[in-house]
Amino acid sequence: MSGVETGEAVAFFLLAPLSVIGALGMVMARNAVHSALWLVLTMLSLGVFYIVQAGPFIGMVQIIVYTGAIMMLFLFVLMLVGRDASDSVIETLRGQRVVAIVLGVGLAGLLGLGTYRATQGLAVTGLDEANKAGNVQGLARLIFTNYVFAFEVTSALLITAAVGAMILAHVERRRGERVGQAAKMRERFLPGNYPGPKAGPGVYATSTSVATPAKLPDGSPAPRSISPILPTRELTAAEKANKHTEGR
Amino acid sequence: MSLSAYIPIVGLFALAAAFGLFSVAIAPFVGPRRFNRAKLDAYECGIEPTPQPIGGGRFPVKFYLTAMLFIIFDIEIIFLYPWAVSFDMLGLFGFVEMVLFIVAVFVAYTYVWRRGGLDWD
Amino acid sequence: MNPTLADFGKDVWWIVLIKIVAVFVFLVVMTLFTIWYERRVVARMQVRPGPNRHGPFGLLQSLADGLKLAFKEDIMPLKADRVVFFLAPVISTVCAFTAFAIMPFGPFVSIFGQRTPLQLTDIPVAVLLVLATSGLGIYGIVLSGWASGSTYPLLGGLRSSAQMISYEVAMGLSIVAVFMSAGTMSTSEIVTKQADSNWYAILLLPSFVIYAISAVGETNRAPFDLPEAESELVGGFHTEYSSLKFALFFLAEYINMVTVSGLAVTLFLGGWRMPFLPDWLNQGWWGALWFTIKVLILLFMFVWLRGTLPRLRYDQFMKFGWKVLIPANLVWILVLAGVKTVNAHAPQQRWYWIGGAFALVLLAAIFWPSKKDSPKPTLEQEVAARPAGSFPVPPLDLQVPVSPRAQRITAEREVV
Repeated sequence: MSGVETGEAVAFFLLAPLSVIGALGMVMARNAVHSALWLVLTMLSLGVFYIVQAGPFIGMVQIIVYTGAIMMLFLFVLMLVGRDASDSVIETLRGQRVVAIVLGVGLAGLLGLGTYRATQGLAVTGLDEANKAGNVQGLARLIFTNYVFAFEVTSALLITAAVGAMILAHVERRRGERVGQAAKMRERFLPGNYPGPKAGPGVYATSTSVATPAKLPDGSPAPRSISPILPTRELTAAEKANKHTEGR
Repeated sequence: MSLSAYIPIVGLFALAAAFGLFSVAIAPFVGPRRFNRAKLDAYECGIEPTPQPIGGGRFPVKFYLTAMLFIIFDIEIIFLYPWAVSFDMLGLFGFVEMVLFIVAVFVAYTYVWRRGGLDWD
Repeated sequence: MNPTLADFGKDVWWIVLIKIVAVFVFLVVMTLFTIWYERRVVARMQVRPGPNRHGPFGLLQSLADGLKLAFKEDIMPLKADRVVFFLAPVISTVCAFTAFAIMPFGPFVSIFGQRTPLQLTDIPVAVLLVLATSGLGIYGIVLSGWASGSTYPLLGGLRSSAQMISYEVAMGLSIVAVFMSAGTMSTSEIVTKQADSNWYAILLLPSFVIYAISAVGETNRAPFDLPEAESELVGGFHTEYSSLKFALFFLAEYINMVTVSGLAVTLFLGGWRMPFLPDWLNQGWWGALWFTIKVLILLFMFVWLRGTLPRLRYDQFMKFGWKVLIPANLVWILVLAGVKTVNAHAPQQRWYWIGGAFALVLLAAIFWPSKKDSPKPTLEQEVAARPAGSFPVPPLDLQVPVSPRAQRITAEREVV
């Protein structure tokens, strides 16, 4: 194998810390959505790593698929815990953090050592040889000939994913029970419902100020039409006076 | 294929990022500042903002299902791309295996459709 | 001489720099121009003049608007997530710009004595770069909706995430046929392949139609502009944004329009090449002109759609994407692959195969069990069936009085 190119080295030393920071941020962020964002950073860096190592197709796939996957994670968070979800710092299991760190470092060490052992003394053909007919073409030749069984099994995996998502997340409704948009609209216009919007502030009011409440059809002020963050104060006589906005 | 063909992409990315960050950073300093509490409140056409439940409220599970389906199809597409690019090279064998694959994913798709997973109401 | 993949990545550093700045400027100018163009065209369609004050024909209107935005107050809502609120417009803009890096503007040209392709760069997976950046661009929208801490933006952001991922599937599938015909994912080579055969918009018409539809959905444009449906969600995901942050979202939206149009030109409409022209007009800098003209025609289509069609309802929209575009696309890919395989392996018997498959489909269509729907009630019956006390509707035999304006116009015509 030829030596590492300068561009490759620069990209590595720029992105490697970034991906580690992303991974750490993902674990440490208290807000679940921030966690997901850190994960995006890590996955993007990994995608660029693949491209740098002469695997442009897999790099782009990494970016395309993982953006979707993390988007799903994001929606999952919103769905399960709501918008302002954040972790509490109180440990529910005593000492779990220390154990997790020790075990994590241990696992990383084991994996690293294993990879190191396995790749030592390996005959290297080089990336140029693998990409001779083009990266995508070479990949296609392998997937659709040598690894065709694994490829076909992937479809089973996809079916499982679809079935799983349906069972977990789909609210089953019989044909008759389903309420469509048209039915909802019809319901909205049924007797007893008022289909229009409620009056906003300043409607039929005597002043243009947002602090002036709207008036209900019977002439009484509507308290719901004023934002609670506005400070309440007594209106001056001039403000209270009729501005003759009725039109003559 | 050397990496030099990717450098312009990185360059354009960097220029766009610099432009975007600069615009966002400079905006508070260029514009005026007229403090008003009503401005900082969530905007809902002037009416009182909908009271937010504690935690911000949850979201319909439907969106999650759509995202899951997206991933399934995304992976299918990802397999279709190299197959399409080397279609001529793979020949009849490639055609048959892709038909099997697409039919298998279509089974999942039909299942989701029949169960009403694609309906929004 | 057509550029191939091997011709890229060989430029001198200052040529690269010039090209980067040129693409950046092209996109910004195109945005300013497109906003003006859209407003003028829509105005014409609605019989009014449109912006015509600043500069010749009002050309400087969008520049003035952009500058004005910079001097507006930058509001950060109290409930917003500060960092993400800042980041979201930047993500949108960066993704929009980066996607354009692989657009081929033309063949080889000479810049200050250096021979170089008129394209920023090209990579073996060029088209995937556009898909990847448009996928990342969704984050800008979703995060802006989430970070605003307000109901409408959150709804708009989620809607657009669901919408964009649905239409991204359709878009990704529509490109497969192009890859099958071209045998490559590099944009410059796809353009070259189309010069050899024919425009893929003609050869692969179903793919082109599906791409065009999903491109409109992907860019959140009318009639698919549900994320910012004014009548429902105020401004959608960017409701809480103001000043330059809002301008960045605007910029990103228009650049995305230019990008999907540019990709449509490159993949389906022959790229920078114009047909029926002498050879010397399809060389060098002319390519950039043809490319821009084609993009402008496609942008006109966007505006035309906006001026013509009402917005779709969300459930209809999602149904269309998932139940029509995606299965149609998959079937089309299989049909195309089948035809190509038969062509390659049994060219003599190809008509038997194609005819047999066609007959099979026809038989299935004829003998498919049909459902008898109960007859639909007429409008009168529906109105009569409404319970007493319902919201009042005008009488069905209401005579609408003739508009006084219409009378005036007929009177004028009679005089003439």
